[in-house]
Amino acid sequence: MSKYIEKFNNLRTIIKANGGLKGSFLQLYRTDELKIGDFVGEDKYGNKYYQNKYYFVGRSRWVQYVDKVNMDYDGSQIPAEWHRWLHYTTDDPPTKVPPVEREWIEPHTENMSGTPQEYVPYSTTKPKIESWIPPRKS
Amino acid sequence: MASMRVFCASRSAQNLMFRVFRPGSFATFATKSHWKDVSREDIDMSAKGIARRSATTFFFIELFKGFGVVFGMIFKEPATINYPFEKGPLSPRFRGEHALRRYPSGEERCIACKLCEAICPAQAITIEAEERADGSRRTTRYDIDMTKCIYCGFCQEACPVDAIVEGPNFEYSTETREELLYNKEKLLSNGDKWEAEIAANLQADYLYR
Repeated sequence: MSKYIEKFNNLRTIIKANGGLKGSFLQLYRTDELKIGDFVGEDKYGNKYYQNKYYFVGRSRWVQYVDKVNMDYDGSQIPAEWHRWLHYTTDDPPTKVPPVEREWIEPHTENMSGTPQEYVPYSTTKPKIESWIPPRKS
Repeated sequence: MASMRVFCASRSAQNLMFRVFRPGSFATFATKSHWKDVSREDIDMSAKGIARRSATTFFFIELFKGFGVVFGMIFKEPATINYPFEKGPLSPRFRGEHALRRYPSGEERCIACKLCEAICPAQAITIEAEERADGSRRTTRYDIDMTKCIYCGFCQEACPVDAIVEGPNFEYSTETREELLYNKEKLLSNGDKWEAEIAANLQADYLYR
């Protein structure tokens, strides 16, 4: 019996940590998951990163996408420095081991395919064949 | 007599054989506790047994037992990962989307030696080179057809200046095919976006390269 009481208490703690009944409902609606974990850091776009080693590898680190994107969250919205930690390539989050800083590093963009900002290929060289422009008789 | 025992179909048949061939040796088979009955159990044909079997069929008891298993599974921890929020482990050697890197000064690394173009087994890379105004040799065209690429990683192994690398990004699916025909600007901007992770991955793996 005490086992079930403990499970019920866990559920209560998780619901409380996710912002009460309403917050938990919204969280479930958005992420299909109610979890509790330690806050690890936040990137410059507002995504928050959490960790709880109670879960197995693959579930033990997760991201809470910034509220601004609402239901339009996408896996490609994670910037490079946090991408490495979230994919378990390293155990050190960028808050602990800062990534290299170059002045030419561009801000991260999500996958823009299907939007007006999508990449459209173009030639970076001059064309080798030029079309003949007929001489004009003035 | 051991072989005899194996081939005899039943106890009574064996007894019969014994009686016919060796009438005096009956006493040796008085105890037969080592026999094991492997046949299917007899169906209980009493009124109670019949009633129980019919009730199991009639009230779909097995179906509800199955529902019970499914219901119990709801409360178990799932074995899957919740993808855009949780992600699977990646190696620092992971070969994803290509990127052209720069030197810390901002100068592009690629010197248009065309080794990657030569080694590419899918012939996905096209390079054209020209002398730049300051006299250094640089590419004017560096195209990778990502639809041809087989992600073998030969290009980054061939590169003498670590210019072309296969970065850690794999979330670049597109809606149209033409978006996958990367040109030099796209590759350089990939490098600029992912440099933090590319540099860290190269650093993590440098002892093995």
